[in-house]
Amino acid sequence: MRKGNQGDRRAAWIAATGAVVLFAVLSFPCNYWLSLTMPRHQAIQLPAMLLIGLALGRVARKVNVKDLSWGLALLLLAMGSLIFWMLPRSIDLAVIHPWFNRIMHVHMVATGFAIAITLRNMPFELKIAFPGMLAGMLIATGASLRAFTILLCSSFTIEQQHETGMWLMLIGVAVFLGTAVFFIRRLGRE
Amino acid sequence: MKKLLPPIAALVLCIGVLWGWTYGFTAYTVFSATLHQAGPVPREFPAIACINQDSVLFNLRDKDKYVLLNFVYLNCPNVCHKVNNRLEDIYDALENDLVPNDLELVTVSFDLRNDDVRKLKNYRKLFEGDLSGWTFALPHGSTEAEFGDFLKQAGIWAYRLPENGIINHSVYIFLISPDHRVVRVFDPAREDDAAILAGIRSCVKGTKAIAERHG
Repeated sequence: MRKGNQGDRRAAWIAATGAVVLFAVLSFPCNYWLSLTMPRHQAIQLPAMLLIGLALGRVARKVNVKDLSWGLALLLLAMGSLIFWMLPRSIDLAVIHPWFNRIMHVHMVATGFAIAITLRNMPFELKIAFPGMLAGMLIATGASLRAFTILLCSSFTIEQQHETGMWLMLIGVAVFLGTAVFFIRRLGRE
Repeated sequence: MKKLLPPIAALVLCIGVLWGWTYGFTAYTVFSATLHQAGPVPREFPAIACINQDSVLFNLRDKDKYVLLNFVYLNCPNVCHKVNNRLEDIYDALENDLVPNDLELVTVSFDLRNDDVRKLKNYRKLFEGDLSGWTFALPHGSTEAEFGDFLKQAGIWAYRLPENGIINHSVYIFLISPDHRVVRVFDPAREDDAAILAGIRSCVKGTKAIAERHG
C-alpha cells in the first residue's frame, strides 16, 4: 500500500515537473514563434496553457473544491477568464507586449488548474454543462472570426483571422464530441 | 443565501472586469479602445505639422475650415486604397459650395520610413478631376515616437507587423471643425457613403447656416 502511494506521488511529481518545463518552453523560447501568427497564438499556445493547468490539477489530487457554491464561483471565474483572453484587444496586447502574454499564460494555467480541481467534485449536470458551454463559446467565436471581413486584431492578418476561426470551430466541435461521449458513457453505466 | 454569495460575487467580478476592459461593452478591439481612450467627441484635436504633396508646410490647426481627415500608407496591400476610393466618391458627391471653401479633405500617411512627398504626389495623380480640395500629406518634423503619441491622442491605433512591415491601423475618418475640434468620427467599415455624406453635410451646412444667420 505504502509502495503504491510512493509510486503515485513520484508519478505526480514527474507529471508536475513535466508540466512546469512545458510551460517554460512554451512561454519563453517558443513564445516568439507562437506569437507570429494568430492560429498559433489562439489555437496552440492558449489551449496548451489551459491543458497544462488541467494536467496539474489532475495530479494535485489532494487539492479539491467540494462545495458546490465555491465550485460554481470558480467555474464562473474560469469562463470569465477564457472570455477575457479571447477578446481581440486582449489578444493584440498579449502579442505586442510579451509581459502581458505571460500574464495570459499564468492565468490560463491557473484557469485550467481551477477547472480540474473543481469539476471532478461537481454534480454530473455541471460536468456536462461546463464543457458544453465552452464548446458553444468556441464554435460561436470561431464562426465570428471566419465570417468577419473586418480585421479584429492589429497584430495579425485577415487570412490568419479566418484560419483561427476554423481552428477554434474544430476545437469547439472536439470539446462538444468529447462531452457527448462522456455523457453517453455515463448514461450507459447508470 | 450564504450559498449564493460566492457565485454571485464571481459573476459580478467577471462582468465588472469585462465591462471595464471593453469600456462598457463598447470597445472590443484595440482600434475602438484607442478611439475611446482619446475621449468623447466633440474634443480637441492634437496639433501636427505636415508637409503636403507640393512640399508646402502646414499645420492642421491652421486650417480655418472643416477638415475631413484620414490616415493611410502607400504600401498598404488593400484597405487604405479602398478607403481612399470611397473618399474619392464622397469628394465627388460633395457640393461645390462646400469644397474647398468650407471643407477640405486631408489624407496623411502613417509610413514615415517609406513614404515621401514625391510618392504622395504620384499617388495623388491616380485620383481624377479637380483635387484642389484634397490634400495629401506627411507628418513634418515628427519622430516616429512623437507621431505615435499624436496618433494615440487623436484616437488612431497603428501597429507595424515586425515580419513584413505591414501597418495594421484604424480606418476612422475624422471631421474636424474650424475651431480644431473633432466633431464626428466616421467608420467606413460600418457606415456607407450616404451616411458619411449626411454626417458631413449636417455639420458643415449647420455651421454655415448659423454663421449666415449671425451675419
